[in-house]
Amino acid sequence: MVKEKYLESLKESIVNLDFNTVVEIAKEAMDAGVDPHTAITDGMVPGMTIVGEKYETGEYFLSELVVAGAVMKEGMEIINPYIKGDSSKRLGKVVIATVEGDNHDLGKNIVTTLLGVQGFEVVDLGRDVPTDKIIAAVKERKPDILGLSALLTVTMSKMGEAIEALKAAEIREKVKVIVGGSPVTPEFAESIGADHCAVNALEGIKKCTEWVTPQEVR
Amino acid sequence: MAEMTRHERIMTATHKKRADKLPFLGLWRHLQVGWVERECRNRGMGIYWHRPCYISKMHGVKSSETQVVSSGAVVLRRTYSTPVGSIYLDEKREPGVEQWKGLASWRDVSPWQTDRLIKGPEDYKVLKYMVENTEYIPYYFPIEQAMDWLGDDGVVLDALPHSPWQTLMIDWVGSEGGRFFIHHAKYPDLVEDLYRAISKSREPLYEIAAKSPAPIAFCGDNIDGVLLNPKLFQKYCMPEYEKEAKVLHEHGKLMAVHMDGRVGVLKDLIAKTPIDIVEGLTSPPMGDLPIGEALSLWKDKAVWTGIPGSVLILGPEAVKKHALNLLREVGSGDRLVVELATETQISNENLLMLTSILENADLPLTKEKIDKIERSLA
Repeated sequence: MVKEKYLESLKESIVNLDFNTVVEIAKEAMDAGVDPHTAITDGMVPGMTIVGEKYETGEYFLSELVVAGAVMKEGMEIINPYIKGDSSKRLGKVVIATVEGDNHDLGKNIVTTLLGVQGFEVVDLGRDVPTDKIIAAVKERKPDILGLSALLTVTMSKMGEAIEALKAAEIREKVKVIVGGSPVTPEFAESIGADHCAVNALEGIKKCTEWVTPQEVR
Repeated sequence: MAEMTRHERIMTATHKKRADKLPFLGLWRHLQVGWVERECRNRGMGIYWHRPCYISKMHGVKSSETQVVSSGAVVLRRTYSTPVGSIYLDEKREPGVEQWKGLASWRDVSPWQTDRLIKGPEDYKVLKYMVENTEYIPYYFPIEQAMDWLGDDGVVLDALPHSPWQTLMIDWVGSEGGRFFIHHAKYPDLVEDLYRAISKSREPLYEIAAKSPAPIAFCGDNIDGVLLNPKLFQKYCMPEYEKEAKVLHEHGKLMAVHMDGRVGVLKDLIAKTPIDIVEGLTSPPMGDLPIGEALSLWKDKAVWTGIPGSVLILGPEAVKKHALNLLREVGSGDRLVVELATETQISNENLLMLTSILENADLPLTKEKIDKIERSLA
């Protein structure tokens, strides 16, 4: 199979949500000497882009978006060991967490997957993350963006708590804060001093990309 | 004409007839106790109360609980052992659990499962064994007791578990990290086989609920069109609702389903279901279907609408604006019941604001009546 065929098959396996094919083709492509970065950027990433487009037009739903991310992850697990060093150029760095008291991480995980596809380096702190751990991660990893997620109204206040803690640590101006989750509204985001409220995962990714893209390139 | 009792008001609206006033009520487990609660009840607030109408027994299954540390957190591990294998779940509890209202914490958060019963494909057969060996037995004491205690002050509903698909998606496989969707894509036969087993095992439960003295059976689903897309809703939820409603309606009983998510994408399908009460319907900004539109679309259904948590968190002025807008968009106000909160406790200030508006909402609603209510708040 020629290189282009492998790339096309990887793309199709993501679009078709096909776990078996992505693993099979990824193995074959690596055995055939396809460059691992090319397999990702010209094979799987275009597949995820198509899935995202289908989601935006209503042909695919959240479940398909999630499964496509999982299919891509399985393909990446085959390809990653073939990547030597980290020669990839990153768009920016994001620290992301579901706030303390909240165990809901579906939305956060979709955003994490899509940020990775977009070219961001993502530090995923997981779910039910205490504010002090979030602040420590921002200090240590120095991200461009902090993403906070909550599904419960009783945990939303933790987002405001994190922003206040950033101010107290005198690092608020060093990081953009994006918040999201079903109950989170622009009014609430404004009231706690966040920079943006993500309407959904794709819109949130667009905003993050805009933030790290120089004005003249946009 | 004598003023309706709270119970009459709720049931009249729910039976799609005109009540004297717009019914409004508080969910027993979210309602604080004290002077504000007393004041609001004096203003006409009713109470609705979910109570079980059955007990269940699992035959050939042993269960045990122990405290363990998992991923650095202290959790309660419940293990089920069957002849075909064992499975466990881990549960994390906030402070206040068992010191407050049963399993609710001081913040009214229920314990959450940090590890679900189904983790991998090997767990399905164990859970299927448990499902197939579960017996449901009628037990109406909690219903009778609540009805006796509540009297005309509200309404008691049979509390039923999530429907089979939602049981899998919310309770047993869980959607954390998208696990349920991934399982459904990778192991469709296992998921569907267990779904069918749950569906069959629930049939006696619908009979039990139908014969309980409560006027409404509450199917404790958690419908959200973003998580549960139209294809899944149509294939897995609607047939179960039809089966359940058939049994309930034969006994003159109403069926309520909790739909507090973004249901805009499901609105046409919901219209086709035999559900009598769309419960917990949350208007924008948290939901995506305006209540007025829902009432227009679902003329054979009553709507019990909740006040969005994202409005409550902004305080009484935002609550006032939301409540007045709600009154202005629902036409005459028929077939509507307002729930003061469906997912979290309400502050005193919010509760007083809401009830000061709703106590004066005589039906049918008119622009003049709503303007008068607004002026009275100035």
